Amino acid sequence: MQLVALRRAPPSPSRNSLHGLDWFVFFLADAQVGFGPLIAVYLTAEKWTQGDIGLVLTIGGLVALIGQMPGGALVDAARSERVVAAFAVIALAASAFMFAAWPVFAVVLAAKVLHSAASCILGPAIGAISLGLVGHAALGDRFGRNARFASLGAGFAALGMGTIGYLVSNRAVFFVTVALCVPTLLALRMIRAGEVDAERAHGGRAAPHKGHPEEPLWSLAHNRPLMIFAGCLMLFHLANAAMLPLTASVVTMRSSDSAAPLVAACILVPQVVVAALAPWVGRQSVRLGRRPLLLLGFGALSVRGALLALVSSPYTLVAVQVLDGISATVLAVLVPLIIADVTRGTGHFNLAQGAVGSAVGIGASLSPMIAGYTTDQYGSAVAFFGLAALATIGFVSVLLLMPETGKGPSGPVTEVLRKGATS
Amino acid sequence: MFQLTDTKKTAIEGRMNCFVRTVAIIGIFLVALPETSACATGWRLSQAAAQAAQDAQHQDAQVPAATATEQQAQPAQQTPPVSARKDASHENTGDGTPATVIDDRDAEGILGKNVYSAANEDMGRVVDVIVKRTGEVRAAVIDFGGFLGVGNRTIAVDWSALRFPTSGPMDHIILELTRDQVRLAPEYKPGEPLVVLGLGDVQLHPETPAPEH
Repeated sequence: MQLVALRRAPPSPSRNSLHGLDWFVFFLADAQVGFGPLIAVYLTAEKWTQGDIGLVLTIGGLVALIGQMPGGALVDAARSERVVAAFAVIALAASAFMFAAWPVFAVVLAAKVLHSAASCILGPAIGAISLGLVGHAALGDRFGRNARFASLGAGFAALGMGTIGYLVSNRAVFFVTVALCVPTLLALRMIRAGEVDAERAHGGRAAPHKGHPEEPLWSLAHNRPLMIFAGCLMLFHLANAAMLPLTASVVTMRSSDSAAPLVAACILVPQVVVAALAPWVGRQSVRLGRRPLLLLGFGALSVRGALLALVSSPYTLVAVQVLDGISATVLAVLVPLIIADVTRGTGHFNLAQGAVGSAVGIGASLSPMIAGYTTDQYGSAVAFFGLAALATIGFVSVLLLMPETGKGPSGPVTEVLRKGATS
Repeated sequence: MFQLTDTKKTAIEGRMNCFVRTVAIIGIFLVALPETSACATGWRLSQAAAQAAQDAQHQDAQVPAATATEQQAQPAQQTPPVSARKDASHENTGDGTPATVIDDRDAEGILGKNVYSAANEDMGRVVDVIVKRTGEVRAAVIDFGGFLGVGNRTIAVDWSALRFPTSGPMDHIILELTRDQVRLAPEYKPGEPLVVLGLGDVQLHPETPAPEH
């Protein structure tokens, strides 16, 4: 089947399109930073009560969770991924503007819901545009590049917006976010529409198979590797999501004068590591296969949890964040890659991204509760050990259950395709 | 042939995308520019309105008879508001609802205000105020530390450890504690016994007035 695909439409993305995608990912990550935990700080300064802030964030989180699969299905159904992405970016800009202009309950709630919905589309859309542009064969390298530019974007934005928030105001951060959507759209424009093959972007058959109707939606539920992978990722995020906030909280508690710079370092160190390592991970995902790297990512998380429990100096805590960078790199590159592997030929790549996104979201939203409860009852060291134990369960699950998805019968073909596509 | 129509379609689509996006960008900016200025105007307007309301209150205070007649016409409103109860005991001689006028420069809402230490270190923001059943304001909850909203801790500090500026804007609240004292405090959790970080527990002199800026 892959050979048929090769004959019919060899992906030949132009440099313009590839660079366009680089910058699209970069600026989008930039713009998304403003919607992070900063929202709570901003609304606090706007005299919001903690209850209202919590309510808005919870509703936004629920929409982000529920919207994952519809968002993916929408991208799968789209004739042009670029148009869908463009509308989502505009929605993002509108949301940021609403935050900045009218910080009253109804508007902020609407803005948060709008942002969550847009994010549900933008997440799969990046994967879809990448796949549509370069095809399965060169996808490892492409996702490596995406991860590099995304973390560079997020890193610069965290630095820049942190500074703006400190020197100007938190409100200014949201106006900067609106402004950032302009280069995001310009970068999207650089990607040539003709080079993003819609069929390929959905993980579908590149050649029309008469008499083979599209696989039904529920076929995903029977996709064993996909379900195992989603389960493993849920465990990963159950362990991972609370680790950084908990680390930052410990740093705030332990360091008197340099807490803010150290917390900033805790956030930035992983981004730097991702930017440095991602292309290498992308290459190795083809050479070594997905499984060894996935194990590296889960292993790094367990070791990190254990180290955070044992280490007490705030500076060492920051150093441990290098491990966060390693697991973040592996996940950033391999999650979309493995989903593309296991949905190859189904036409449901983006729906599957949404499904995995839901699993990730559930893990990530339960994580702070578990960590918070454990910290209150037994202290942060026990909480870190608990998170490390969850990560270890994830590691063992990958080891025992997760099949290698990148090699096998199609391995050599993939290798040939890759060389053909990059030369 | 199939491919040809495909490319044509995408070309048209591309042009349309481009158009739609341009319109959207222009639209956003057209909306954005007047709105920001409108916001500022709106704010000024609301300030003016507040000023006018205050002036009106002054006039009312000077002509108590008018207020009284108005109140008699609406007997349903005669229950004095809970917040004014304390003052009411002194002033409520007639049937009218008593009111106290305070200059807006002398009193202000406290939620979201920045807090600094005596040494002018950033101590975060006031996010909540803790009041006892007796009505006594017991503590302020401050959101302390962190970066971009990550790693901040909410900590309850004794109300008497707060000093408010005697003149100028109320945005510079001073907390008579140091970062070192606050960072180690247990986190404030609603629904759990409160740990209030206070002056009594530490070697500080409550009598020391806050340095005035």
